[in-house]
Amino acid sequence: MTKWREPYSYDYAPYAGRPKIEWPNGARVAFWVAPNIEFYELAPPPSPTREVWYRPEPDIINYSMRDYGNRVGFDRMADVMEKYGVRGSVSLNVAVCDHFPEIIERCCNLDWELFSHGIYNTRYLYNMTEDQQREIIRQSRETIKRASGQDLDGWLSPAISNGETTQDLLAEEGIKYTLDLFHDDQPMPVKTRSTNRLVSVPYMMECNDVPVLNFKNISPRNYLEIIKNHFDRLYAEGEESGTVMCVPLHPYLIGQPHRLHILDEALKYVTGHDKVWLATGREIAAHFEANYYDSFTEWMKPFNAEAPA
Amino acid sequence: MSLIPDSYFDYPLRRKGMDHDRYEARYLRDVPAFRWQGDKTLLVWACVHLEHFPMDMPASPVKPIGGMDRPYPSVWDYSTRDYGNRVGIERLFRVLDKHGVKATAAMNAALAPRYPHLMKEITACGWEVAAAGVDMGHLHHSRLSEEEERALVDEAFSTLRAASGQAVTGWHSPSHSQSAVTPDLVAEAGGRYICDWINDDLPYAFHTRAGDLTQLPLSYDLSDHKILGLQNMPIGDYEYQLDAAFDVLLDESRERGGRILSMSLSPWIIAQPGRIDALDRLLGRFLKADGVASATGEEIRAQWQALGIA
Repeated sequence: MTKWREPYSYDYAPYAGRPKIEWPNGARVAFWVAPNIEFYELAPPPSPTREVWYRPEPDIINYSMRDYGNRVGFDRMADVMEKYGVRGSVSLNVAVCDHFPEIIERCCNLDWELFSHGIYNTRYLYNMTEDQQREIIRQSRETIKRASGQDLDGWLSPAISNGETTQDLLAEEGIKYTLDLFHDDQPMPVKTRSTNRLVSVPYMMECNDVPVLNFKNISPRNYLEIIKNHFDRLYAEGEESGTVMCVPLHPYLIGQPHRLHILDEALKYVTGHDKVWLATGREIAAHFEANYYDSFTEWMKPFNAEAPA
Repeated sequence: MSLIPDSYFDYPLRRKGMDHDRYEARYLRDVPAFRWQGDKTLLVWACVHLEHFPMDMPASPVKPIGGMDRPYPSVWDYSTRDYGNRVGIERLFRVLDKHGVKATAAMNAALAPRYPHLMKEITACGWEVAAAGVDMGHLHHSRLSEEEERALVDEAFSTLRAASGQAVTGWHSPSHSQSAVTPDLVAEAGGRYICDWINDDLPYAFHTRAGDLTQLPLSYDLSDHKILGLQNMPIGDYEYQLDAAFDVLLDESRERGGRILSMSLSPWIIAQPGRIDALDRLLGRFLKADGVASATGEEIRAQWQALGIA
């Protein structure tokens, strides 16, 4: 099998000199919070590409660590977000709709957006045919519609396990925005083989509690500093052209008693600024698509012209 | 031909609740408000891990938490860990006693015959002895036959019961590792609680083929093994995180009903000279607060059982 040398999902676009993005009400930053509400199976089917668990199954320490998010962490996290009027855009393993309908009910009561993060976090897109991936996208759409009445607009591949043509399939299946690309601090048009438009919305791994707290072993108090610094810079640059700030969360981490105050202090800090648009992923993608998709596409062309022969 | 078979799209356990039958789904938020004995809202559970890492221990199927870092024969690794059983533990006795805390000693059974003096001191302090397997070189996992594993469970309980004179009702699997039948074997050996799953801040009923065990919360994220050992954070970050956990759990216990703050302590880690004073400060602050008391694992299990909450 020939491997691809790049994702072929986007064109080059320097950060300087872009068309100016203006968010609603003169906001500089579109701020959104993406809680990942996940279900990891105790005994998942094997994947040809990666080990699912870290220890021989049953890997009870890692399974139960994640189960904490649904049993305990979710409500704590939701309380803090509610306190600051920050809606969530849920990166949802859609099987949670069946396992824990009470969680979905609370999300809906809080007017949160639901988008798909696959069926389970232990079922990957790796090695799937295009039709198999379409099946996952369609099932996600059906499940979210059934559980919440919402349309499926956004996508984050389960465990970020995307295939080479996943972005094409998302566009073909009518998904409006993707979070699988980490190349920018502003929304961008995604290049796909479809005529449907697909927008990438920034989903910031730098501020994601899993890499910060779990992979890099950074102390919670330094996590708060990371979020504040990240926001300060994007707020400053947003005066020139609107930026996006995302805080991706996992209730099994941020909902732990020794970390909850980080979310409280971070949201207090962000909502204490007046030029912030507290948005959802869907709203950010729609605003960009309606107002800037064309101007960005046009403006980017010269940077991507074929080199002269 | 796809590498992914059609069965990958079957979800036989996609249903309301869990994808197994060991315990029910329960949201902490839904547990009815209650108070612990003596009108307390928050119980501090000090669980002290007494560990024996044999110098020739295997690193398979996984290296246990705190396992050897260097090639055999690593005297460095061995003696660093054994330090806890001679020096560190004495510091813990002193600090916990100062704050009136009776701990649960989650003990590798191999330590009882090796260090009979240690067992005498533990029981003389009024600590509870719980079984933590045979030693850190014997993890419980599904590649063991049930018979092999039963022998380990029985050896752990019988050795510790004989040496301590206590009932020994608690079980902590070394490295929070269980096979698919560990809880069944623990219940069959007369165990009454386990503390290996890290999915809650309150106890819950855990089903086995020999009746229900109580699963007690023992935080791994707040353990000295994780914060100071695995994550290599300075002691200030340990103290900061324990303080933060206490604040949230104490508030919650007053507003929403009883809670537990578990402290998973290893004498070779937390009882180093440069770290023990932080523990002293933490316990001093925790146990001075209104509505806070300390309890052992078995005391918590019995109190929880008496409440009759599912």
